[in-house]
Amino acid sequence: MASEASDSKTKPTETQSSSSSSANGNGDAGEFECNICFELAQDPVITLCGHLFCWPCLYRWLRLHSHSHECPVCKALIQEEKLIPLYGRGKNQTDPRSKPVPGVEIPNRPAGQRPATAPPPEASAVPNFGFGLGGGFLPVMIGGFGNLGLLAGFCGFLPSMLSIQINNFADARPTYGTTSGYARGFSGGYHDRDFPRASETNQGAQAEDNRLVLILLIVMFLVIFSCMW
Amino acid sequence: MTSPSPSSRKSLSKIACNRLQKELVEWELNPPAGFKHKVTDNLQRWVIEVNGAPGTLYAGETYQLQVDFPEHYPMEAPQVIFIPPAPLHPHIYSNGHICLDILYDSWSPAMTVSSICISILSMLSSSPAKQRPADNDRYVKNCRNGRSPKETRWWFHDDKV
Repeated sequence: MASEASDSKTKPTETQSSSSSSANGNGDAGEFECNICFELAQDPVITLCGHLFCWPCLYRWLRLHSHSHECPVCKALIQEEKLIPLYGRGKNQTDPRSKPVPGVEIPNRPAGQRPATAPPPEASAVPNFGFGLGGGFLPVMIGGFGNLGLLAGFCGFLPSMLSIQINNFADARPTYGTTSGYARGFSGGYHDRDFPRASETNQGAQAEDNRLVLILLIVMFLVIFSCMW
Repeated sequence: MTSPSPSSRKSLSKIACNRLQKELVEWELNPPAGFKHKVTDNLQRWVIEVNGAPGTLYAGETYQLQVDFPEHYPMEAPQVIFIPPAPLHPHIYSNGHICLDILYDSWSPAMTVSSICISILSMLSSSPAKQRPADNDRYVKNCRNGRSPKETRWWFHDDKV
């Protein structure tokens, strides 16, 4: 008691002399002071109601002293798993508040809840690619039909309509991607499954057309082949 | 909850000491209106002068509050009593004990001496009549041997005053 009295005798004068500087500092640092110990928050956590605490301070209050799990500032219900840790850049020095009270183990503060990473930027750089998997397949099929078209040409059965349809595919091709052709068309298809976008709707309509044309071609070739055999 | 009498009470923890020094600095910069901290050597016991707010039943009167801090302040509430003579008030006993929930069950470590003072002044100011609690004599008799009000099981029934 005696030592403490002398302690407290010297300290107020100390703090008085530094009060002007701490008053200036308050404007900046006060925002980041723990609401329990009034020091710069150590292992800071923030409640859903937005109040900042040192994790050791809040833990001791919730687990050892309070009768209810309420925010000390606003009495909102606190769920420990919903506390948000604040991770700044600096590494914390050991702080007296983290030193356990005899018989009290303070666990690590709750970890942050990390949402999934943001979509990779290239996904938005290829808005023209693909209309789903079907879109990815189309260019390959065209290649196939080109051969069939040749075959059909050999057989001398190339109706005028067929050439028109093939031209139609050629026109549609730039919408898959102008640079690297079919491979990009495929990857575009996968991206598009994850991130559907508005442009899909008008391109999708065209894809629908192309698919109908494909079916028509297949039927035609089947008819042609059946006639041939 | 046990709280030893002030004479045998444990000294302040380091956390408590740091926090009280911060509160003291803040008090000196911005004291609550109507209160005056009487500077002593003892950080663990503050004596604060209260002036009744103008326009209330206690206007012009001066009382003294004694605030004793426990080892684990602010996790535990300080013990706050009026040094007799205590103001005549339906929630203040003649031995100076104050029936106010934030001093006991509703204490929160985010509260400060300053906020306690404001609550007490507000309680005084809203008093409708200068009178003692109905059970004053019985309660004071029970507290004869210097019992702390923190050991009392309070019943907070009146949220108007």
